[in-house]
Amino acid sequence: MPPDLPRLYDEHASALFAFLLNFTRHEADARDVLQEVFRRLATRPALLDGVRWERAFLLRLAHNLAIDQIRRRDSRERRHEKIAEIVDIFATTDDPDEAAFRRALAEALGELPAEQRAVVHLKLWEGLTFEAIAVALDIPPNTAASRYRYGLDKLRARLRPLYEEIK
Amino acid sequence: MNADDFESRLARQPLRTPPAEWRAEILRTAGVASGSQPSTLNSQPASWWRELLWPCPQAWAALAGAWVIIAVLNNNSLDRSPTQVTQKIPAPSPEIYALLREQERWLMELDEPRPPRVQQPAAPPRPSPLRPHSEIRLIARMA
Repeated sequence: MPPDLPRLYDEHASALFAFLLNFTRHEADARDVLQEVFRRLATRPALLDGVRWERAFLLRLAHNLAIDQIRRRDSRERRHEKIAEIVDIFATTDDPDEAAFRRALAEALGELPAEQRAVVHLKLWEGLTFEAIAVALDIPPNTAASRYRYGLDKLRARLRPLYEEIK
Repeated sequence: MNADDFESRLARQPLRTPPAEWRAEILRTAGVASGSQPSTLNSQPASWWRELLWPCPQAWAALAGAWVIIAVLNNNSLDRSPTQVTQKIPAPSPEIYALLREQERWLMELDEPRPPRVQQPAAPPRPSPLRPHSEIRLIARMA
């Protein structure tokens, strides 16, 4: 059965975009991968047949495509690993304290290794369990749990002063 | 810093959403790639047989093809009338007929009960026409 692309876009595009933006740290890459996800869904109607959990499947597809996208880029740039570049992954706000915290958080996330960042994102903002993250990223659940702990510890250490200040 | 509070604080940060104009462009590009326009209508539910068979049509097609081949081969091996069978087997030659008759005669000899051996003086036994030629010749020499 051909997939209902408009429905899939309305239900999953925001989550996929946020994940891709945080993972790739580059808006153009995130858009290209998002486009590729829906192109695959359109050209392979049976892709979602039998899939019980669409979100996890689409996140896994997006993750794999994002890895390919990053590898195709010039390895010397390594934009997904650059610390200096900050990507706006959070919504804007008029509150200056909140804006500062979001900016610092985005920067701190950029300092994490890509695979830790992926796990932290899926745990915090998608609310997935470690078992679900393991399925989405094709890693063992224990690996997902340890990457989350390491990533969260780094974020905590990085953001402690600002967090204590604005708490 | 309470761990739960920190995690909750992070999780509460709203993420960016994709620009609204991306939707039409992404769906249009995907529709072009698939060769058809994306439909906004809900498709009718497929019939039960289609849902059962569609997940792997290639496997079903291969299985059906194998069965067709088996059926054809089986049909060819069984679909032979007696007339067709006999017509295809060439008629035996006269020499073969003669050999078959002689073989039948030997078999009859083997089936007949032989009389017990009795020591008879003098007169050689008359060669029986039913005995093998080799034995008849031997008895004649001995006589």
